[in-house]
Amino acid sequence: MTCSEVERVLPELLADAPDGALPEKFEAHVKFCPACSDLISDLKLISAEARQLAASEEPAPRVWVRISAQLRSEGLIHDPESAPAQPVLAPASTPPRWRWSALWLAPVAAAILAAGSYVISHKPAPPVAKQQTPATQATAPAAVTAAVTPAPAPARAPQQLAQKSAKPESVKSARVARPAVEPAPSAEDQQFLSAVSTFTPAMRTTYELQLQAVNADIRETQAYVDRNPGDMDARQHLMDAYQLKALLYQIALDRIQ
Amino acid sequence: MTDPKQGISEREAIEQAKQGNEAAFEVLYQLHKRRVYSLCLRMVSNPAQAEDLAQEAFLQLFRKIGTFRGESAFSTWLHRMTVNVVLMQLRKKGLPVVSLEETLEADNEAPRKEFGSRDVKLTGSIDRLQLQRAIDRLPPGYRTVFVLHDVEGFEHNEIAQMVGCSVGNSKSQLHKARLKLREYLKFMRAEKAKTG
Repeated sequence: MTCSEVERVLPELLADAPDGALPEKFEAHVKFCPACSDLISDLKLISAEARQLAASEEPAPRVWVRISAQLRSEGLIHDPESAPAQPVLAPASTPPRWRWSALWLAPVAAAILAAGSYVISHKPAPPVAKQQTPATQATAPAAVTAAVTPAPAPARAPQQLAQKSAKPESVKSARVARPAVEPAPSAEDQQFLSAVSTFTPAMRTTYELQLQAVNADIRETQAYVDRNPGDMDARQHLMDAYQLKALLYQIALDRIQ
Repeated sequence: MTDPKQGISEREAIEQAKQGNEAAFEVLYQLHKRRVYSLCLRMVSNPAQAEDLAQEAFLQLFRKIGTFRGESAFSTWLHRMTVNVVLMQLRKKGLPVVSLEETLEADNEAPRKEFGSRDVKLTGSIDRLQLQRAIDRLPPGYRTVFVLHDVEGFEHNEIAQMVGCSVGNSKSQLHKARLKLREYLKFMRAEKAKTG
């Protein structure tokens, strides 16, 4: 048996006996051939290490927010009241006074959208960039319309959000290191989390993480837009991030009502 | 399988998700998100694209959850669906799932050991980050088979069925992918030794 012969049959051999012993005649060669021996042990090592890679990455919280929004827009999620099964997380019924007291979430969600629209539409952008990206101009008025409506239409915004693109490469590459300690949540966010804790305590951590993620996204993208006011992709992403935050509030409101 | 945070079993979550319970959907998502996202990420090597694909895989799953009867493991069902979503995307983009060109190119250019002279061995351990980078550098066809077999644990006959090639082709592509990875890893190690 030669090295070439080993090389020729190796794909089959390793497929048939990935962890076990090789047939005797191959073993005899491999035992005295350091090159073949190293090759086989390296290939087995690569295979073994690769198995450890499975399920090692965590998706961003926004993925669930988008999925949830899309499920809602398709009518696959039913309100707890109409569902025959007991909700897993949310209490079966919520005292009416709490429901009414949580209605402040709706205007806050609208205000977030309005703030996002304002911030974006009042940033100076070079005239050339404005001409090149009509899509951004079309988005802002829609967001403003949503902002002045007391009860935002949940069917439209989630559909749009579910299709939003991820953060532009320019923003990603310019990403600055996040501070070790996250900034304290705003008064509205604290109120929001407090309301979530009251109605669906088990969901607080999820909402908190999602809120942190979207706030960090807004901060990073805002900083980038401040430095690069002509980057229309980044501006669009900033608007998306504000919409995502408003959607978080809206989803919480839907759960509570 | 049980979500430790919610204290609800996967089976219960499936039944409640069939009724349209959002929290049950979320339990299923939390149980499987890492594996699904990791699979997408390894196959496309692009986080933004992987997020979109993971989202699409879960949406397809939730849309069809009413048809799940439990004959097969839920995770197997989900992972097959995920692979199909990714392969569909690769085909849409015109990327080779398994390419003849790669096979031919590999025949000519696959790293060969120099007989008679001993290679540098990977010495019993591989840095996972380097392995991930090496996988990212693989041509898409090699990467698909390698990820499905060595990372995700699919059998060659399953891979052949999913990607539409022969079992022999799957074995051959896997072997060539491993050879390429070995070369990449040795190169990275040599570079690191030079700079470090």
